Amino acid sequence: MRIHVRRTGGFAGIERAAEVDTSGRPDAHEWHALAEKAVAAGRGTPPVGVPDGFSYRLTVDGTTVYCSDPRLTEEQRKLISKVLREGA
Amino acid sequence: MTTHGGLEPVFCTVVPPHVLDRLARSDDPALSGPARRTLVRDSELRSRRRVTSEFRLAAAPAAKAPSDQPLRTVYDAGHGTDLPGTKVRGEGEDPGQDATVNRAYAGLGATFEHFLKAYGRHSIDGDGLPLDATVHYDQDYNNAFWNGEQMVFGDGDGEIFVDFTSSIDVIGHELTHGVTQYTANLTYYGQPGALNESMSDVFGALIKQYTLSQTAAEADWLIGAELLAPSVTGQALRSMKAPGTAYDDDVLGKDPQPATMDDYVRTGRDNGGVHINSGIPNHAFYLAATALGGFAWEKAGQIWYDVLTGGELTEKAFFTDFAKLTVKAARERFGDGGEEFQAVEKAWERVGVRIL
Ligand SMILES: [Zn+2]
Repeated sequence: MRIHVRRTGGFAGIERAAEVDTSGRPDAHEWHALAEKAVAAGRGTPPVGVPDGFSYRLTVDGTTVYCSDPRLTEEQRKLISKVLREGA
Repeated sequence: MTTHGGLEPVFCTVVPPHVLDRLARSDDPALSGPARRTLVRDSELRSRRRVTSEFRLAAAPAAKAPSDQPLRTVYDAGHGTDLPGTKVRGEGEDPGQDATVNRAYAGLGATFEHFLKAYGRHSIDGDGLPLDATVHYDQDYNNAFWNGEQMVFGDGDGEIFVDFTSSIDVIGHELTHGVTQYTANLTYYGQPGALNESMSDVFGALIKQYTLSQTAAEADWLIGAELLAPSVTGQALRSMKAPGTAYDDDVLGKDPQPATMDDYVRTGRDNGGVHINSGIPNHAFYLAATALGGFAWEKAGQIWYDVLTGGELTEKAFFTDFAKLTVKAARERFGDGGEEFQAVEKAWERVGVRIL
């Protein structure tokens, strides 16, 4: 499973993107569970966020959804920070 | 039938209209129901208020005037994301050990004072609204935002950004989003969104200049100068004096702001480039303010404030609409033959915004 996260906006307006490929990873199972929940709670179009809030685009195996701060689900928040931290 | 009575007082006093609009469209009836009812109630109240203001002279006794003192509360999110978090300092309480809390508290005070002393505005709604801020939001959080009700500050990751309360203009920037929400309510997308961002940078910069007693010539016209971690190659996050030159760094990339319409960036990202194209109106303000000299909040700032709060600026305004209103406001406030409207007109011309 390929999990791609792109973050735009924020006070600084600086973009960040990263991707994790879970194939062969020992923790692939946890990634999949997290990604599925995060995507299920996402939206098909970018929600209008709050001023200076981050906007996120999540793409999991070709399916793209959007979400934005501060209204993220626990799973979205966890997935986004994991991918931006551990991904390339 | 289940009622959600507990939610309603919160909705009717605190939640701003655009948040209500969003909630009203929510799939969750626990959210959408009260929000819809509040929207209806609010529009009733608004029309009543209009009637009241028309008869204000005749009506007695007058409503209680808002206080000249702020009503500040700082909360600590404890590196979590629940808002507002734990109350750590209320109005009039002594400073504590946490420098972040103290900076937020002082920044709220400086912003309140600037809007009151320079423009006679009582808090962000003009009616003494309490000022709330939450610090230590999330972990290594590289951002600060306005959620429609309060300010939220992250600590930064220490590698790119330090604590977001470090620059007073950032605190002023976030609170000005509140002022804009209660006045012109510029839509946070595309050109009106870039104007919304520019209002926050303009008044954020003015709050810093006011606090330091700096003239337009003395000011650095930088936004977030204290925010960059020591390893980052750059001076600040944005420069109103020279948009596009604030930073150029391996990790951060290069400051993408244009200074003129020739370099206007068309993009769907960042809400249609709100933090990018704000460089254009930011630079126009800088040009007008430095041409007029003296304290920037007295002339250029007053003109911009008049437009933001004057009622003619629409939610969907483009740069040219805004520019036209600033020239009109300059004439109205400082006279037809004055240098003020000429400086404003010239500033827009130099950034390539045509006044039709
Ligand atoms: Zn902003």
